[in-house]
Amino acid sequence: MTYDDDDLDRALAALPLEEPPAHLHARIMAATLYRPEPAVRGWEIWLMGTLIALAAWLAWLVASAPHTAERLTDASVWVVESTGFTSEYTMLWLAVGVSAAWWLSQLTFPTRPSRIEAR
Amino acid sequence: MGVALAVEPPLAAPVVDDQALITATLGGRTEAFSELVSRYERAVYHLAVRTLHDAGEAEDAAQEAFFKAYRALSSFRPGAKFSTWIFTICYRGCCDRLAKRKRLSGDELPDRADPSAGPEASAVREDEARRLRAAIDALPEKYRTVITLYHLQGKQYEEIATVLNLPLGTVKTHLFRAKEQLRKALST
Repeated sequence: MTYDDDDLDRALAALPLEEPPAHLHARIMAATLYRPEPAVRGWEIWLMGTLIALAAWLAWLVASAPHTAERLTDASVWVVESTGFTSEYTMLWLAVGVSAAWWLSQLTFPTRPSRIEAR
Repeated sequence: MGVALAVEPPLAAPVVDDQALITATLGGRTEAFSELVSRYERAVYHLAVRTLHDAGEAEDAAQEAFFKAYRALSSFRPGAKFSTWIFTICYRGCCDRLAKRKRLSGDELPDRADPSAGPEASAVREDEARRLRAAIDALPEKYRTVITLYHLQGKQYEEIATVLNLPLGTVKTHLFRAKEQLRKALST
């Protein structure tokens, strides 16, 4: 049998499309509309990466500076002294404050009984 | 010379037009996107199967095409044809997969007929369909894709050219040669 242009067009038009698997529709819907939200968004990953890189860079900068240990010790001592942590009174009041906070956190208050619905 | 396309009836005469469905999807109506998927999944899968020659990979490619389309739906240009857009996305995805396959295999893949593509139904028409399918599968890749899109979209040469990102003249030449090879294959 010989095929001319019309025969070929007719044969092409009559050619059925490939039958997709039955689950394809559900698969597409699961990948699009019902796709769960990602736990972390792209911009959050970028932000965390940037912050970690910045922290690493700062740590390296500090560690690579000369006399790092001494400088850190001096800075810590200066912070402790300038904030008054060496004073006995400051320590006393801090102890009182912390104790009070802990004591308050241990108290239990009776809650008002919830109203029972008529239904 | 009239060509009655083998595409699903909703493709040819949609009750609600695609643009309205896209607008509804963007407005949060999930059933609208489901309808869009129903309209085009078969054609998209067909294009993927004919291009990739692998049913499993074609399924992945079809899913990926709809996923990409869904994500980029807000950028869909009003007035454009959704079919052309989704076919373009699918075809590009298939090209990427073919390129990856060629890289992995290290050599050019042979153009071969798909032995699993045989239809099951009856008689002479089925036999013709099987022979035609085998002849299409045996075409070189560039001709096979053109003839597949011609099968899906009819004589909308510009749409085919858009999907394939080829000049209109090249599409017509490829189509002419594809038809010539098909005629020869079917006439023997």
